[in-house]
Amino acid sequence: MSKIHYSRRNVLKGGVAAVAASTLPAPMIWAQNIKDVVLRQAGTGVSAFNEVAAKVKEDLGFTLEMTALDSDAVTQRAATQPDSYDIADIEYWICKKVWPTGNLQAMDISKIANYDKIAGTFRDGKLTPDSVIAQGTAPHTVGFVEGPGSTTFAAQDSGWMTLIPTIYNADTLGIRPDLISRPIDSWAELLNPEFKGKASILDISSIGIMDMAMVCEAMGEIQYADKGNMTRDEIDKTIGIFMEAKKNGQFRAFWKSFDESVNLMASGEVVIQSMWSPAITAVRAQGVPCVYQPLKEGYRSWGGGIGLSAGLSGLPLDAAYEYINWYLSGWVGGFLMRQGYYSAVPETSKLFMSEDEWGFWYEGKAAAGDIVSPSGTVIEKAGAVRDGGSFLDRMGKVACWNSVMDENQYMVRKWNEFIAA
Amino acid sequence: MEKRPASFYILGTFFALFMLFLYGPTITIAILSFQGPGGGLTFPMRGLSLNWFRELFMEQAVGDIWGSFRRSLTLGLMVMVTTVVVSVMAGLAFRRRFPGSTVLFYLVIGALVIPSILVSLGVGLLFDRTGIGSHWATSAFGAQLTWTLPFGILIMFAVFNRFNPAYEEAARDQGASTGQVFAHVVLPLIAPALVGVALFGFTLSYDEIARTILVSGSRNTLPLEIWGMTTNVTTPVLYALGTLTTIFSLSLVVLVILSVTIMQRRRARNGSDAGRGLV
Amino acid sequence: MRRANLNSWLLAAPLTGVLVVFLVLPILLIVAVSFWSSNEFSFYPDFQFGNYEYLFGSSVAWKVFGLTFMMTAIVWALTLVIGFTIAFFLAFHVRTQKWQMVLFLLTTIPFWTSNIIRMISWIPLLGKNGLVNQTLIGAGIINEPIQWLLYSSFSVCLAFVHLYTLFMVVPIFNTMMRIDKSLIEAARDGGANGFQILTNVIIPLSKPGIMIGSIFVIALVMSDFVTTRFMSGSQLANVGRLISNDIGLLQYPSAAATAVVLLVTVLLMIGAMLRLVDIRKEL
Repeated sequence: MSKIHYSRRNVLKGGVAAVAASTLPAPMIWAQNIKDVVLRQAGTGVSAFNEVAAKVKEDLGFTLEMTALDSDAVTQRAATQPDSYDIADIEYWICKKVWPTGNLQAMDISKIANYDKIAGTFRDGKLTPDSVIAQGTAPHTVGFVEGPGSTTFAAQDSGWMTLIPTIYNADTLGIRPDLISRPIDSWAELLNPEFKGKASILDISSIGIMDMAMVCEAMGEIQYADKGNMTRDEIDKTIGIFMEAKKNGQFRAFWKSFDESVNLMASGEVVIQSMWSPAITAVRAQGVPCVYQPLKEGYRSWGGGIGLSAGLSGLPLDAAYEYINWYLSGWVGGFLMRQGYYSAVPETSKLFMSEDEWGFWYEGKAAAGDIVSPSGTVIEKAGAVRDGGSFLDRMGKVACWNSVMDENQYMVRKWNEFIAA
Repeated sequence: MEKRPASFYILGTFFALFMLFLYGPTITIAILSFQGPGGGLTFPMRGLSLNWFRELFMEQAVGDIWGSFRRSLTLGLMVMVTTVVVSVMAGLAFRRRFPGSTVLFYLVIGALVIPSILVSLGVGLLFDRTGIGSHWATSAFGAQLTWTLPFGILIMFAVFNRFNPAYEEAARDQGASTGQVFAHVVLPLIAPALVGVALFGFTLSYDEIARTILVSGSRNTLPLEIWGMTTNVTTPVLYALGTLTTIFSLSLVVLVILSVTIMQRRRARNGSDAGRGLV
Repeated sequence: MRRANLNSWLLAAPLTGVLVVFLVLPILLIVAVSFWSSNEFSFYPDFQFGNYEYLFGSSVAWKVFGLTFMMTAIVWALTLVIGFTIAFFLAFHVRTQKWQMVLFLLTTIPFWTSNIIRMISWIPLLGKNGLVNQTLIGAGIINEPIQWLLYSSFSVCLAFVHLYTLFMVVPIFNTMMRIDKSLIEAARDGGANGFQILTNVIIPLSKPGIMIGSIFVIALVMSDFVTTRFMSGSQLANVGRLISNDIGLLQYPSAAATAVVLLVTVLLMIGAMLRLVDIRKEL
């Protein structure tokens, strides 16, 4: 009962009780001793916000411990140390690699209250009924398994989910408009000799190779049958083109952690690079102009989600389901949308955002007032429009997803060669 | 005082330049930790403020600096004590050849030269497969010992190789037991070197990443936490932490100098020179 | 004799225990896991065993090993020269023990700040708009910022020298302090000039310290992966990075193969050095 109590109080605060009440997850279990439960969540710093943990304590009563790691360490722990976490916050392409180890357990969607409201991208792959599914490891292709204990992915919604989608976004190139005084509209610009020594790409192979593919395709150098599942020949060609560029000094550096991309851009070491949305915000927050440039070839997209450790059972497992339901019930969604990510259940997130915030971040409308970051600093002045426009404009133009290919091992070796070249 | 030779000044300048080089990053960190509230981790400076020192003591958006700092400090002290004790014991053992000593010696060298990430992966797998589960105070502690012990032991070799057994024999002739010889003769003589071992042990542990990264369990040590924090927006709070660390260690050094000066004065008064010329 | 052995074994037991549990077992486990077949571990259905074959057949692997050796050689030479000079200064020119200790402690202070933080700070120090470039431009020495100060082999070497020179200084300083001052005076009385004293007395007598410092530096540089990644802006790869990349991508067999080759190489190098000097005796 106390569960409903908390929610109602919150929602009343938001002033949208009627709408929200219907989105509340059905109460599953409620025990006093759930307060003693400690859930340990491991993930990259991208979504390991202390504020979320504090809110969990406040709303659900139990403790959520967040540990931020770099992406390699997350993969490692997910794959080799299932005992070190209860909840893994990983990306879908990591899921493809980690799931077969059997360290994560499938989730029963009948326990997920807002399942039907999760964006179509994560259920059948279609954002809108008539959208085309982008190439690569699209989340829905690794989103389901045949049943509990299964290590093979199901082709469609099977009732057992691998990861509950949390955040996702459409990525593109970030540029310094003050240092590039002309319009940029294609991925091909990354290798334009004009930016020799001032370009960068990220050094995470499953993501970087997709950026490379976008560039090579935009240059007209390679026509891929499927960027998300390249042949050896295509991998060779793609890496070859970038090796050549690297030898010619096109790149100032490669970056691996979010923070590096911010520093490269803010310090002016680099003027064009692959980048993530909140990194752009961070550069702008330092007063340095930076644009998340929409490109005519479309976006490279990624999605993250939370998975449950196989060892989780009993009360902690119930608590984990509570957490998931809470995660999808809107507050976190609103919080993450204000960082520039998208929430997996946009309509519940809307309840926790002001109309102006929703208009700016989701609908691509001009901000009516100042847009403030979760930490309270003004990041956009009134009148500003989000780079790339609305949710449908951005996510509707996804050309490919971060991928783990059939030839992954070969690709990794080639990637190593690229770095070593 | 005799006149200093020219080489003193040349080498002194070289040393000063080396110090400047060593302190380059430290100086940069110190300057940037006073960034204005809108500033980032790189130049240009956007104003001057103490904002980031204030922020350091508040909760960060991502990561838990002080929690991980406490863990690192505890772990560092654990590693330090263990390194000193185990190194001394091994150092004593290695004073004479014993069956297996060569193998053990090469194992020590092996522990030093093995790629750290491999230790991390292996220990992580071991603790996972055996169901013990990794934790910073167990698996990370052990993994770090494989790193600090070789340093400690090599230092102990250096100490015991130039250790004059005559002192011990003299004590034994006077009827001292093995324990007494160690406590009253050996220990005081090797004490300065032990400070070095302890310092090495703590510093190596406090800043260890590669051997810790896959074995720290569900909670991070400080370097791992900072490493993880860089996967989101980081702020000059990190620099503020660096500056505070430097100020803290500088004051520690000043403290050491003062106490040494006082001790020397006292010694000069008492006219004893025990323990000199050993370090 | 028996009793003495027992005594030694007891004293060495804690060390042996730690090394067995945290070094030998894990390494054996890695080797074992890396040979598990795909159906048991189910990482990749196309699990391959030709990792060594691939490694030795790959031109990139050779190149990376080559680069690692080159880096190691350069850093070793630099740290040796700088470290020897510093140790020489501290041992023979700083007169009191107190000042030796003060200067010594001063050199360690920068290392108490987390390495990651220091790594980040190289960008504002050496970058295009960094302190060094701004100072040089301000002084009118250069007009354009120097690019190769950061994200180059130069910056990688620089960071290595920064990190590891002390590992050279400590053991060399240690052995120098053991040199009997009367030997130097005897040489001087015998008519040797400063340079001759250095080459004929001090260097030979410092050899054990030089060796042990070299072992530290070579082991550290050969197995590094963090510094190379940060300081080259991910543009250079050494063996450590190959391994860590493979591990990050769950390519354990390949990582294990590379690691074994690296380990053998380093052990051979160190073994050869140990042959030159019995550090157990001469330290």
